[in-house]
Amino acid sequence: MLKTKDLSYWYDQKKNSLFENVNLEFEAGQSYAIVGQSGSGKTTFLSLIAGLDKPKAGSIELDGKDINKIGLTNYRKKDVSIVFQSYNLFTYMSPLNNLLTAMSVTESRHAGDKEYAQQMLAKLGLTDSQMKTNVQQLSGGQQQRVAIARTMVCDANLVVADEPTGNLDEDNTTEVIDLFQQIAHEQGKCVIIVTHESAVAQACDNAYRLEKHEFSAV
Amino acid sequence: MNFLKRAWLSLTAKKGRSVLLILVTSAIMLFVLAGMLIHSAADTATTNAKKSVGATLTLSANRETAFKKMKKSSSSKPKLTTTPIKLSDAKKIASLKNVASYNVTATTSVNAKSFDAISTSTGSAGPGGQSSSSGDIAVTGVTNTSQVSSFEDETNKITKGRGLTSADKNTNNTVIESELAKQDNISVGDTIKVKSTSGSKTYSLKVVGIYKTSSSSTIQQGPGATDPANTIYTSYTFANTVKGSKYANTADSVTFNVSAPSKVSSVKKAGNQVINNSKYTLATNDSSYQTVKSAMNNVKSFADKIVWLVAIAGTIILALIVILMIRERRHEIGVLLSLGESRWKIIGQFFAEMVIVLIVAIGIAGIGGKSVGDRLGDQLVSQQSASSAATISAPGDKSVQMSGKPGGPSGSGSAVQGGGGPSSAGTSGASSQQTDLNVNVSVLNMVELGGFGLAIMFLSTMIASGGILRLQPKKVLID
Repeated sequence: MLKTKDLSYWYDQKKNSLFENVNLEFEAGQSYAIVGQSGSGKTTFLSLIAGLDKPKAGSIELDGKDINKIGLTNYRKKDVSIVFQSYNLFTYMSPLNNLLTAMSVTESRHAGDKEYAQQMLAKLGLTDSQMKTNVQQLSGGQQQRVAIARTMVCDANLVVADEPTGNLDEDNTTEVIDLFQQIAHEQGKCVIIVTHESAVAQACDNAYRLEKHEFSAV
Repeated sequence: MNFLKRAWLSLTAKKGRSVLLILVTSAIMLFVLAGMLIHSAADTATTNAKKSVGATLTLSANRETAFKKMKKSSSSKPKLTTTPIKLSDAKKIASLKNVASYNVTATTSVNAKSFDAISTSTGSAGPGGQSSSSGDIAVTGVTNTSQVSSFEDETNKITKGRGLTSADKNTNNTVIESELAKQDNISVGDTIKVKSTSGSKTYSLKVVGIYKTSSSSTIQQGPGATDPANTIYTSYTFANTVKGSKYANTADSVTFNVSAPSKVSSVKKAGNQVINNSKYTLATNDSSYQTVKSAMNNVKSFADKIVWLVAIAGTIILALIVILMIRERRHEIGVLLSLGESRWKIIGQFFAEMVIVLIVAIGIAGIGGKSVGDRLGDQLVSQQSASSAATISAPGDKSVQMSGKPGGPSGSGSAVQGGGGPSSAGTSGASSQQTDLNVNVSVLNMVELGGFGLAIMFLSTMIASGGILRLQPKKVLID
């Protein structure tokens, strides 16, 4: 589904590359963990496959098409959903409106379907009143569930997550990992999680370690 | 949920910020509207002034030529001699196309004989009934009192009996002032006697009407006739009789009413061709109009400056507010970008928010604009009045006064009040022009304000949107 071809990235000079000539393949219906030490470049890698930045060399292909040719804005809109460590929800909206906004912006086939959004939120354990309250009044775990629900209501087949459990306690971490597994296995999406937590990596179907500028399967 | 709905949600969710934006925008719009209203009211005042003064022409003696003759005179005591207007010459103009009617004016003074003239403490008139060489009663001989400017502008009003008409030609009918009538117990139908200032010829006049004047003018014909109540109206033929036989069929001035203000220039041109220009002057009495125009131009210029200064300052202030707002909402913008929203739609959302704010602000400005415009307009007109009164003096010793109408909105429909037309051929000596800005909010004003507001909002959003166009979601959301 998603393929990196000789992917390289550096900030100032090529000799200080974060990673070079990375060739990885990610399949639909599978979950992947990218692990590595802080500063190893795993988040930068995620920002490249999420279409938030451009590689210095090499390319990323989605179903055989270079994402640069698709256009990064279009790619983000149609093909990829992102979950952040700090949730990144619209703070002035309710969970329900957060989902409706995402569905509208990404032109999801469910755009405008309030019931569908409510079903998703209910599936993730939010009560009716929680769905309509301001997101800032929810706990961290609940906010992250709203962020995950946002990826579920969009049509994108690729879900990337940057340290999604970084701000959560153990119980919530387990729940969130389960949700990502559901997304991969039940919705048939490709889930790529950048994490430094071994428990998360172990729960995923596949794991890669970024170390010394190179990726290796764990 | 499209960007318009997001804009609405953002505004309603962040009420404090929205109220602040509405207040700032309302203040800006209020001053822009006030400036626009003053400009438009000044325009209306100028137009109305033109309408009120522009439809008459006055034929009078050419004083300039008379002055030149006086200067050239070798006499030890040179005398300014003006030629009385021959009615036959006036009739040539009266017969021109577009001249609707004309009013002959001849003035003189007499002494009261069978009654006492009003004496004022400040006046120089002697006690009533005492003869004065300059006369204590001013006689204004006219064709028709209703065509005299002081009656037209209702400074003088007939309260009893009737005014004079062309039917009173060659009669000794008169219209006297109510105070004079009251003091001397004179009623309509009574006969009063006056005598000439030179010699002892006595004339009997029949009172056919009594008028009440609101004029406070003290400059009358001759030092003995300082009180306006001492002015009596007669037929011009009677005034000429008093003046002497050589004044038969002459006039001091003749006022021609032109059918439409737009025809005045053509009538004036044609009139100048049929009269002797060295003897007579045919003029449009637009000095008061010119004064109003000049003052209103100053007011308009100031109003324009208000509009532009507020618009520029408003754009800068709003741009700064939007820049701060965008900085505060970088995170939200980053999330939208990560979802694949186009940058222009995000800018569109901010613009939509500002437009919603603008709509409320225009409503507030519409409510308060008239009040602010009135106060500001009055202040401007008062300043103009002060400077005009100090500096402007129209030809013929007709000082033109302008006065604002302090204390709020004007209820009058007319922006320019008072007579602007040719006065009764110098008989009143001074004319008063009261100019009042009639500030009213019209639909057109609101549409213009909306356009102005949209331009300000668009500019400020565009200035502030540079940040959005440069924003990298990765930097906001991940770094």
